[in-house]
Amino acid sequence: MTYVEYKMLNPFQRFAYNFKRVLVSVPRAVGNFFKAIGKGIAKFFIGIVKGFKNYGVTFAKGDWATKLSYLIFGAGDLHKGKYYKGILFFLTEVLYILYITMFGWGYISKFGTLGTVETSMQKVNGIPKPVLGDNSMLILLYSVLTIVVTVVVFAIYIANIKDAYKHQVMKANGEKPTSLRTDIKEFLDGKYHITLLSFPVLMICVFNILPLLFMILIAFTNYDKQHMPPGTLFTWVGMENFKDLFNLVEGAKKGKTFVELTGWTLLWAVLATFTNYILGMIVALMINKKGIKFKGLWRTLFVIAIAVPQFVSLLLMNQMLQVNGAINVLLTQISHMFGGTETIEIQFLNSTTLMARATVVIVNIWVGIPYTILSMSGILMNIPEDLYESARIDGASPVKTFTAITLPYMIFVTTPQLITTFVGNINNFNVIYLLTGGGPSTEQYYQAGRTDILVTWLFKLSMDTQDYGLAAAIGILVFIVCATISLIVYNNSKSMKDEEAFS
Amino acid sequence: MIKSYKFRRRIANFFIYILLAILGIIWISPFVYLVLHSFRQESMTTVPYLIPHEWTLNNYIELFNVSGSSSINFPRWFLNTLVVAIFSCMISTISVLAVSYTFSRLRFGARKKLMNVAMILGMFPGFMTMIAIYYLLKAMGLNQNLIALVICYSSGAGLGFQISKGFFDTIPRALDEAATIDGATKNQIFWRIILPMSKPIVVYTVLTSFIGPWCDFILAKIIMGDKRELYTVAIGLQSMVSAEFINSYYKQFLAGSVLVAIPITTLFLIMQRYYVEGVTAGGVKG
Amino acid sequence: MKKIIAVLMAGMMTASVFAGCGGSGGSSGSSGSSASDTQSSADDGGAQVKDANLVDVSMFGEEDNISLKVWCAHKATGLVEKQIEEFKKAYPEKKFENIEVVAVGEGDAGTQMLNDASTAADVFSFASDQLNKLVGAKVIAPVAFTKAVTEMNAETTVEAGTLDGTLYAYPQTNDNGYYLVYDKSVVSEDKTGKLEDILAACKDAGKKFIFDSGNGFYSCTYAFTAGVKINGLEKDGVTQKFTEYDEEEAVKTLQAFSKLMHDYSGTYTSLDVAQIASGFSTGTLGAGIDGSWNTAADKDALKDNFGAAKLPTINVDGTDKQLVSLFGYKYIGVNAASKFPASAQILAYYLAGETCQQQRAEELGWGPSNKNVQQMDVVTKSDIQQAIKAQSENACVQVNIATTFWDPMANLGNKLIADKTDPSDADYFKKLLQETIANIRDEG
Repeated sequence: MTYVEYKMLNPFQRFAYNFKRVLVSVPRAVGNFFKAIGKGIAKFFIGIVKGFKNYGVTFAKGDWATKLSYLIFGAGDLHKGKYYKGILFFLTEVLYILYITMFGWGYISKFGTLGTVETSMQKVNGIPKPVLGDNSMLILLYSVLTIVVTVVVFAIYIANIKDAYKHQVMKANGEKPTSLRTDIKEFLDGKYHITLLSFPVLMICVFNILPLLFMILIAFTNYDKQHMPPGTLFTWVGMENFKDLFNLVEGAKKGKTFVELTGWTLLWAVLATFTNYILGMIVALMINKKGIKFKGLWRTLFVIAIAVPQFVSLLLMNQMLQVNGAINVLLTQISHMFGGTETIEIQFLNSTTLMARATVVIVNIWVGIPYTILSMSGILMNIPEDLYESARIDGASPVKTFTAITLPYMIFVTTPQLITTFVGNINNFNVIYLLTGGGPSTEQYYQAGRTDILVTWLFKLSMDTQDYGLAAAIGILVFIVCATISLIVYNNSKSMKDEEAFS
Repeated sequence: MIKSYKFRRRIANFFIYILLAILGIIWISPFVYLVLHSFRQESMTTVPYLIPHEWTLNNYIELFNVSGSSSINFPRWFLNTLVVAIFSCMISTISVLAVSYTFSRLRFGARKKLMNVAMILGMFPGFMTMIAIYYLLKAMGLNQNLIALVICYSSGAGLGFQISKGFFDTIPRALDEAATIDGATKNQIFWRIILPMSKPIVVYTVLTSFIGPWCDFILAKIIMGDKRELYTVAIGLQSMVSAEFINSYYKQFLAGSVLVAIPITTLFLIMQRYYVEGVTAGGVKG
Repeated sequence: MKKIIAVLMAGMMTASVFAGCGGSGGSSGSSGSSASDTQSSADDGGAQVKDANLVDVSMFGEEDNISLKVWCAHKATGLVEKQIEEFKKAYPEKKFENIEVVAVGEGDAGTQMLNDASTAADVFSFASDQLNKLVGAKVIAPVAFTKAVTEMNAETTVEAGTLDGTLYAYPQTNDNGYYLVYDKSVVSEDKTGKLEDILAACKDAGKKFIFDSGNGFYSCTYAFTAGVKINGLEKDGVTQKFTEYDEEEAVKTLQAFSKLMHDYSGTYTSLDVAQIASGFSTGTLGAGIDGSWNTAADKDALKDNFGAAKLPTINVDGTDKQLVSLFGYKYIGVNAASKFPASAQILAYYLAGETCQQQRAEELGWGPSNKNVQQMDVVTKSDIQQAIKAQSENACVQVNIATTFWDPMANLGNKLIADKTDPSDADYFKKLLQETIANIRDEG
């Protein structure tokens, strides 16, 4: 389709066209995804090879102090008069060696087995007392810590060599090393990104990346309530947890649960995203329609629903949807008004699968629409006025203005947001957990109910039944689903963006 | 022609008003119900009617009437949450602004790579790591400690840079260039030029990171365990509707919910304008 | 009459009662001494005690400046704090830095112990169904004073606290089950014996009868009454075993239940037990099957009209069959990772001892497991205690239950009460029963 042809389509057709293109490009995007991973790995190894080459070359060219830096951090810098940096490098090495000998080695040496000595009970004077053995959890945690620390120290080591060589070259050229003051100034200007990023990156490394590596490794162990430190040990089991999840043999509950929950999770994400998007847009359009007064009041009514903490509104909703909760009371009173005599007792949350799922989606509309209204209102107010101006001059009717300007603009602007919302809904824990707790329960799933999505299942497995290994495996799979979807859309939205820029 | 058009529009608007009013009532009535029943005198749990028969302030008074080592200590929980919210809000805001400014305005080798890493990290489900974070904090001697909560709520803040980066992207680069020619360092540009222009996004960031601790009921529960006096309002209130407490604390739960909702809602309504500006400016380009 | 029941009770707690339900350790239930027999082969009977509450101070060993954490139900915190003060006074030689009491419910304690034993309580109350996982994860220490505890407490409670010949927990109550509560102004006392009469009385008064059939904890009553009773776990430690049963008879029983549910549809309702107290207070409820922990709330709602009885019978082909429920006990356990293991054991012994049990029975209305306390007036003269006790004779013990047990049982209850089920369709119920058993015994 040419650009002109595309331009002649009405907005819905354009949307459909774009949507179709996204769907068609899924296989290609998945292909690209893996290609990109392959490329990344290749790049990584090429980098390592290059690094080793540089490593050797620098050693050959270096003077004695640079060569000494290969063993003693900071030797080169100290020799060349860059004292503060040299001292810092040297301290790093000392601390690292202390860390490994005093602490790290004890754990990392058991990394392969995750411990062999079980804790046992022994009676002393008739009182059973524990004789502590290995703790698999701590071995794994501190091993990961040691690995991360080692990687960081290795990076510092390389930086130390580079720096030593740099100063050697500078000295050969008759330049003096920069002073501490100049360096600090540089950190406020040319290297300002390092200053700004160091703190957030440090926090993310310690509290996001480190735990993440740990949990990824847990997925390959049998950490569950039968294998739980400090009482008992857990160990590596390879792909066992993943095999359980993909085991579709008749009667294998974990596999069945995983497949069916994945289906419902995706269905839920689609329903939750699009109902909120479409209904939210309609309400936002109504509020922002020309000639409607009290815009602030209407918006505030909806905004209150966001402002009240979600756990409050959801716990409240849960109470109201009970059999004798406010909703049934209201329905009963309405039916009595029309001459009914029965007490209405609809089991919203705990009877059929369909009823519970529909309730969850509807309550999610109640929870989610205000967000859509808020962001849509902003966008509607932001539509360049000159677009409408020229439309008016051309004598376009309000309907025409809407279909030709408002709608395409909204769809164009909010597509990326739609994707984030979609991925967000895959991980939308609160609504499901607080509202139904996963119920209605079923005997056909392993530790999950009919409205459980993957993340609530993950949560239940780790908090209620201590199936940590299985939960971690699910976490990895959820990640793969989300990453693939985001990547596909990311690849496509760029082209969608460039096609018709409004500004 | 014009007249009939106007008439039609008036009819349309009339229906829109009615529809909006109905929707407004649907959206607001649960909260009205919450407030009404928080003043209810009779019955311990739910009642089969909508308007309470007898009114009382007792539910609120009892909430603040804490005896010795009581398991329910709402004032303390409120204070805990406030302290945690203030500190984590400060750290988060600084992190978010620093990261988003860096990615938006500064150019350096690893920029693209770091942004991709951040995006990938953001896609792992958050609950996956909660156990590991717990043991990590415990190894640091911080479990059952409010500092741990501050760390939890603010450590990952840097990953949520997209919206404010989008906002910074909308500020013309020419400003930076002019300032650089005048001899300003990147540091000065950040503090003196960009930040003063970014009020909406700063307010948005402060607001979202301040509200976070009031709403989290997962991490806080895991970290605090049985240390009830260090609970935040979210887990405290949630524990009041658990099987152990619901029979005697249901009405106090309603009252407590109202007390939590009031400050947050007020704050939100005041900041609404900034929120809209921030989220649209950041969302459009992000 | 009640007295006679009480006397009989004390004498033959185990005898006929638990036969068929099985216990732990593979005892048939008919030999009362099986628990202590198995124990003596495992250890020497445990450390010496001084009396029913205290031990010799030398048992503390080296421990001093003791600080401990105790978990108990929210309702009991005040009493337990008082009891701990007494405990401190009983051992004046020792210095107690701090003994902290924290409210953690008995149903929740096991999970919280597993989540992180090292910050958990040293001494904790828990319900019998969690014993298995606590022992499996080795977070609970065996009881030190085995012999004394075994002698003092009702044998069923000791037996259910024993796994592989080792006693792991101090019995604390003999009351963790459910029974019939009713509004005396709706259901007269003489009609509480038969489910049919109760339902008829409720229907006549236009009130409901609540039996939470969507929760495996209650709905397993249908299966148990039908003769399908649990009997420990298979050797793999996860698969549920059942007693032998007559399938034809079982199907007939299920049909009888289903028929009642349909005949009294609108009266026989399946709701969460939390609704029972509020149903009484709003006058919409005639009777219900409620847990013993809700007694206080129910009594509050009904005041003088509150009545309690054991579960009724159901008429199957002309014979009245007693409803068989799931029944558990509460225990006090000692954390295996406790920093003061001896002090924790001694405190647990005290809290589970005769005096403390008596105080709980008097102040909280908890049914004691201690044989002496069971003979006291506070138990023998209480309607509720008697109802609970009577029901405990018609129950399966809530121990050694597979994690896969609950959902299929809930499903069974839901299917029985579902509108579209035809009570006369025997094949359907046969299939339902077979499926339920198959699902429970599934891999897990």
